[in-house]
Amino acid sequence: MGAVALLIGIGIYCLLTMKNMVKLLIGIEIIAKGITLALVATGLAKNNLLLAQSLVISVIVVDVAVIATALAIIININRHTKSLDVRKLTKLKG
Amino acid sequence: MIFLFIIIPLLLASLMPLVGKISKRFLPDLLANATMLFLLVFSVIYAKPLIAKGGVLQQVFWFGAPLNIRLLVDGFSLFMLFTISLVSLAVTLYSIDYMEHYGAKANYYALLLLMIAGMNGLVLATDLFNIYLFLEVAAVASYALVAFGLGQDELEASFKYLMLSAVASAFILLSIAIIFGLTGGVGFGAVAAGLKMLNVKYVVGFCSALFVMGFGLKAAIVPFHSWLPDAHPSAPAPISAMLSGVLIKVSGVYAMMRIFLNVFGLTPPLTTVLSVLGIVSIFVGALAAIGQNDIKRMLAYSSISQIGYVVLGFAIGTPLGILGGLFHLFNHAIFKSLLFLNAGAVEQSTGTRSLDKMGGLAKRMPLTAATSVVASLSIAGVPPLNGFWSKLLIIMALVQAKMYVLAFLAVLGSVITLWYYLVLQRNAFFGKLNETWKAVREAPFWMSASTVMLALLCIVTGLLFPLIIKSWLQPAADILSGGVGVALNFLGF
Amino acid sequence: MHLLLMIGLVVFSILSVLIRDLLKAAISLAVASIFLAIIFFRMNAAYAGVFEVSVVAGLITVLFITAIALTRSDEQVRESKYHLFIFPLFFVALIIIDILVMKNLLGRIPAITSPETGTFGEVLWKERSFDLIGQIGVIFAGVLAVLALFRPRSKSPQGDKHE
Repeated sequence: MGAVALLIGIGIYCLLTMKNMVKLLIGIEIIAKGITLALVATGLAKNNLLLAQSLVISVIVVDVAVIATALAIIININRHTKSLDVRKLTKLKG
Repeated sequence: MIFLFIIIPLLLASLMPLVGKISKRFLPDLLANATMLFLLVFSVIYAKPLIAKGGVLQQVFWFGAPLNIRLLVDGFSLFMLFTISLVSLAVTLYSIDYMEHYGAKANYYALLLLMIAGMNGLVLATDLFNIYLFLEVAAVASYALVAFGLGQDELEASFKYLMLSAVASAFILLSIAIIFGLTGGVGFGAVAAGLKMLNVKYVVGFCSALFVMGFGLKAAIVPFHSWLPDAHPSAPAPISAMLSGVLIKVSGVYAMMRIFLNVFGLTPPLTTVLSVLGIVSIFVGALAAIGQNDIKRMLAYSSISQIGYVVLGFAIGTPLGILGGLFHLFNHAIFKSLLFLNAGAVEQSTGTRSLDKMGGLAKRMPLTAATSVVASLSIAGVPPLNGFWSKLLIIMALVQAKMYVLAFLAVLGSVITLWYYLVLQRNAFFGKLNETWKAVREAPFWMSASTVMLALLCIVTGLLFPLIIKSWLQPAADILSGGVGVALNFLGF
Repeated sequence: MHLLLMIGLVVFSILSVLIRDLLKAAISLAVASIFLAIIFFRMNAAYAGVFEVSVVAGLITVLFITAIALTRSDEQVRESKYHLFIFPLFFVALIIIDILVMKNLLGRIPAITSPETGTFGEVLWKERSFDLIGQIGVIFAGVLAVLALFRPRSKSPQGDKHE
C-alpha cells in the first residue's frame, strides 16, 4: 500500500508540474497504475482476489477509453496550435 | 424491464454510425427522438405501480433466462430516470435543427445516446463500482461531445475538462478501493453492513473526503468548479443543456447523495462540510455570474450557484431539506436546459454570445424571448413558478434545522440570482433593437417546440406543485431519509 | 524480491515523468507496466497481470507512440530546470509521510476474510455481469469519440464561429 501512495504522489506531481500535454496523460496513467495496485492489494488482504481482478479489468478498460479520447483531443489541438505545450491553451479565461 | 433504459440507448448508439451511412439526417433524427419519447412515456407508466411498492431490486431477464444483474428501482432512481428522459427528449428535439451546421449527426446522436445510457445505468446501479463504471461511460461520451465542433476553444475546454474529470474519477476509484479493503465487498448492502460492524471512523472520514472531492468535481461545487465555465459555453448548445441539466446532477449529486445518505449515513461533520460547500457555491457562482459578458458563461456560473442550493438542501438531512433538494434538482434541470437552449437559439441567429452586442431581440425572436423570460423568473424564484417553491422548501428546511445564518444567506443568494437574470434579459432581449440584428429570424421549428415544451413545464410544475410533490418527490425523499437502513434492509444480499 | 519489484516500478514511473523525450518516456511507462504485471503475478492475481501486460504495456503504449508520431512540435516544450532539485525533495518528503501514515493506517484495518467461491470465469460472467455491460458501453464511447473527433471536416466558410 505504501507503493500505492508513492505512485499516486508521483502521478499528481506530474500533473501539477509538467507542461507537455502528453506528459500529463502519462501522469494520469501512473495514477491509474497506483489504483489498480491498490485494488489488487486490498483484494489480496481480503482473500477476495477474483472480485478484485474483475474490478481491475474494468478499470483498465475504462483507462484505455479515456486515454484514447484524450489522445484524439491532443492530436486535434496539435493541428490548431502546432505545439504540445499546455501553456498555449489560454484562449478561455476564467 | 427497466433494463430497457440502458439497453435501448446502448444498442441504438452502436447502430447509429451504420444508420448514418444510409441516411444522413432523417433517420438518425427520427430514431433518436422516438427512443427518447418512448423512454419518457415508459418511465411514467412503469413507475407508478413500482413506487407504491417501495423500493425493489429487479432481476433482469433476457429472453427468459435470468441474467445475474439486479437493478435498483426505487423512488429516487425512478425520479432521476424521469428527469433524465425529460431533458433528453427536449435536447434531441432541439438537436434536429441545431446540429445541422455541425454535420455528422449520426455520430452526435450516437454519443448522446451513450451518455444517456451511461446516466441511466448509473442511476440503476446497486454497487459502488458500477456507479464508477457508468460514470465513466457518460464522461467519455461527454468529453467527445464537448469537443464536437473541433474548433480550438472547444478542444481546449474539452481537454481541461477531461484532465480534471480524470483526476476526480481517480479519487473516487481510490476511495472505492479503500472501502473494498475495509469491507470486502462493493455492493451497497455489503458495504453498509460491513461499515456498521467495523469501527474505523477516520478511514471512513478519509474515504468520504475523497468522495466529496471526486463527486464534487463532477457536480461542479466550489472549489472544484473551474472546468465548468470553460466547458459549458464551448459545447454545442444542446450538449450544454445536457451537461448542465442532467450530467452534473446525475454523476455528481445523485451518486454523492446515494452513497452518503444510504450507505455511509449522514454524520454531523459531513453535514457541516456539505452545507459550507453548498453556501460557498451559491455565492461564488452568483457573484461571478454578475460580471459576465458571454451568455453561456453566465449561465454556467449560475449552474454552479443552483447546484449549491441542491447540495445545501440535501446536506441538511431532514426530510424537508431532502425534499427541497430533490425538487430544486428537478426544477433546475428543466429551467437551466431551457436557458441554455435559448442561448443556443440566440447564438445561432445572431452569431454571437456576447451580451454587449445584443439588444432588443424580443421584437425579432418573440418565442425565444418569452420562454427565456419564463425560465429566468423560475430560476430567480418568482412565485408561482416552480423555482419559488423549491427554494422556499430549502429555506424552510434551513430555518427548521435552526441554521438561521445559512437561511439568510440563501435568501440573499436568491436575490442576487434575480438581479443578474434581469440584467441578462434586459441586455439580450429588451431595450432598443440593435441595428445589426434587423434581419434575424426566429428559431427554427423544432428548436422552438422544444423550448416551448420546457417553458410550459416550468409553469405547470409551479402551479401544480402539491401534486408533483406527493406523487414524485415524496417517495424519493422517503428513500433518502431512510438512511442507512434502506441499504441494509432490502439490499443486503 | 517483492521489494525489488516495487522499487523497479516506482523508479520507472519516476523516469517516465522526468525524461524529456516523449518516446523514451512512453517506453519507460511500458517497462513500469511490465514490473506491475510481474507484481500482480506474484500476488496470485494472474488475470490482472495478463490484462496489465497486454493492454497497458501493449495497447496504451502503442496509442501513445501513435499520438507522438502524429503530432509535431515546432519547438521543444521547455520544462523548467527546477525539476531536477525539486523532485527529489518532494519524493523524499513523500516517502517519509508514506512510512509514517501507512504504518498507523494499516494496523487498523481489521482482517475480515470471506471465503472465495467459484472460478474466475464464474465471477466475471455471473456476478459482475453489469460490469460487462458497462465495459461494452465504455468501449463504444471510446470508439465513437475517436470517430467523431477524427471525422473528415468540411471546409466551413465561417471557421471559428464562437467568440
